Amino acid sequence: MSQGKDVYGDYATLPVPKEELRSTLNIFMVYMGVLAVIAAIFAGSGLAQMYDLRTTIVVALIGNILLAIFGGLIAYIGGVTRANTYMLLRYPLGKIGAAIGSLIVSALPLIIWFAVETWLFAITVNVIYPGHPLTTIVASSIWGGILMMITAYIGYKALAVLSYITVPFWYTLIVIGFAAAVDLNGGFESLWRVGPSSIAPLGIGITYVFGLYAAGCVITSDVSRYGIKRWSGSIAWALHVAIFMTALLFAGAAMTLLTGAPNVIVAIAQIGLGVGALLLAILGQWTTNDNNLWSAALAWINITGKFQKKVWVLITGIIGTIISALWGGLWGMSLDPFISFGTLLGNFIPPVGAVLIADYYIVSKSIVKRDYRFSPGTKISLVNIPGILSMFIGGFIGWISTTYGVHLPTGVGVADSIITSFILYLLLVVAMHKLNVKFEVGEWIVGETGI
Amino acid sequence: MEETLDIKRFALTSLYLMLVFGIITIVLGYMINNYRGFYLSLTLGLIIIITTIVYIPLIHRRRDDDAKNIAVPTLQALWVTTSMALGYVVTAYAPYFNIPIAIATALFIIGFIVMVYGVYAMLKISRVAKVPLAV
Repeated sequence: MSQGKDVYGDYATLPVPKEELRSTLNIFMVYMGVLAVIAAIFAGSGLAQMYDLRTTIVVALIGNILLAIFGGLIAYIGGVTRANTYMLLRYPLGKIGAAIGSLIVSALPLIIWFAVETWLFAITVNVIYPGHPLTTIVASSIWGGILMMITAYIGYKALAVLSYITVPFWYTLIVIGFAAAVDLNGGFESLWRVGPSSIAPLGIGITYVFGLYAAGCVITSDVSRYGIKRWSGSIAWALHVAIFMTALLFAGAAMTLLTGAPNVIVAIAQIGLGVGALLLAILGQWTTNDNNLWSAALAWINITGKFQKKVWVLITGIIGTIISALWGGLWGMSLDPFISFGTLLGNFIPPVGAVLIADYYIVSKSIVKRDYRFSPGTKISLVNIPGILSMFIGGFIGWISTTYGVHLPTGVGVADSIITSFILYLLLVVAMHKLNVKFEVGEWIVGETGI
Repeated sequence: MEETLDIKRFALTSLYLMLVFGIITIVLGYMINNYRGFYLSLTLGLIIIITTIVYIPLIHRRRDDDAKNIAVPTLQALWVTTSMALGYVVTAYAPYFNIPIAIATALFIIGFIVMVYGVYAMLKISRVAKVPLAV
C-alpha cells in the first residue's frame, strides 16, 4: 500500500516516515522549547499569591505529575501511529468530528493565543525599553509576530534548531535570575520565610497547575510522532513537565515573593540583568509562539484540505499579528474578549484528549478491535456519535463547573470535563455496541494525499 | 573514508576548543574579584566543561568511518556549548554582575567568537555527515 504524497508539508496529513524520525533528546528539546515561555514563570507568580514556597513545590509537583500522565498517554499514541493530533481524532470523532475537534483544539484557540502571546511580548519589550519607535506596542507586535512566523514558516526543522540554540541558555538565565533575586533579597533563609498571609486549599492550586497545560497535553502527538521510539514522546513529555515545569513555577513564585514584582521580566530587568531580560522575553515567546502557528497550520490543513502548511502559517500568523498590533497596540484595547473566548474553547480541549485516550487504549483494543491507520485507501467513519457527544457534554460540564462551581463530580473544571468525557464515551460505545447500534456513521476513504 | 576521518578529527578539535573556552572563562571569572561575576563564569563555564568532558570520550570510542554516530553526539555537545557562549555575550555587561570593563569585554569577545565558531562547526558537521542539525 502506498504511503501517500506529502503535498502539504511536514506530514500534515500522513504518518511520519522512518527516515524522518528524531532522537528522544530532540523531542525533549522541542517540548522544552515550548515550555520556555514567559507565561510559565508568570504562572509561578500566580501560585505565589496563594502559597508559600514549600507548598508551591508540593502543589506544582502533583499538578505536573497529573499532566505528565495525561500528556504521556496521548504522546504514546502519536509515537505508535506517527500521526498528528488532527489525524488521530478521525477515530474517536470521525472525519467531520475531527474537523470540529481540530477547530476547538488548535485552529481557533492557537490563533488567539498567538495574538495574546505576541501582545504580551510587545508589552514586555515596551516596559523594559520604553521611548523607542521600535519598542512601541504596535511596532513590537509587528516585528515580534514576523520573527515568530519565520521559524514556523520554515517548518519543524527550524523549530527544533531554534529550540536547541535557545533552550539551554534560557533555562540557565532563569536560574541566574532566581539566584540574583535571592541574593538581593536576604538570601536563602528569607526564601523560606516569605509567603501570603493565608494559604489556599491544595486542590485549588493543583487545578490551577493542571489547567495551565491541559490543552498542551492534547496536542503532544504533533511532536511525539517524530520520536525514534514509540515511547520517546511520552518520556520526553513526562520528564519536561514533571521536572522542568515544576522548577519554572517554583522560580517564578520565588522571584515574585522575593521582589514583590508581579511581572517576572520586569523584576529581572530591575535586578540588573539588562539585555538578558529582553532576550528572555524574546526567546521565550518566540519558541512557544512559532509552535502555536505550526500546530494551527496542521489543524487548518486537516480541516480544509487546501493550501500548503506554509500558506496556513502565513494566514494564521498575519491574523494573529494584526489582532495584536491593531486591537492591542494601535487601538489600545485589552485582549480580554479574545482571552475569554480562548478560555471558553479551552473547556472543550481536555475532553478531546479524554475521548482519544478512551478510544485508543480501551475501545480500539478491547471492544471494536481496530488499529489506527492513515495510509491511502484506509476507511474511516464520517461521524463518531459517542465521541462528539462526550466531547461536547464533557466540555459543557467543565464550563459549568468552572463558572458556577458545581460539583460534577469533583468541582474542578478540567478534572470534571476529563472524567465525564472518558466515562461517558465508554458507556455510550459499550451500550451501542452491545445493542448492535452502529456508533460510527458514514464512510470516508483516505486519498493519496492523506485527505 | 578520508572525509569521515576528517569529521572525527574536526569534531574532537571543536570540542577541545570548547573545553579550553570553558576553562578560560572560569579563569577570567577568578579575576573578576566579586562573587556575582565569578558565579556567572563558574556556572556557564562548568556547563561547557562538563558537557565536553562527557562527550569527548564518547566520540573517541566511535569508529572512524561511523560518520553519523560521530556527528550526532558532536552536534548535541556543540549546541549546549554554543548556547552558553551566547550567554556570555548577553550577560557580560549586565549591571548586576558588576564585571570590570576589561574582563567583561574579554568575555563578550570570546563568547561571540565561540558562538560564531560553534554555529560554523555545527553547519559543517551537519553537511558533511548528512545529519540534520537538530538531532
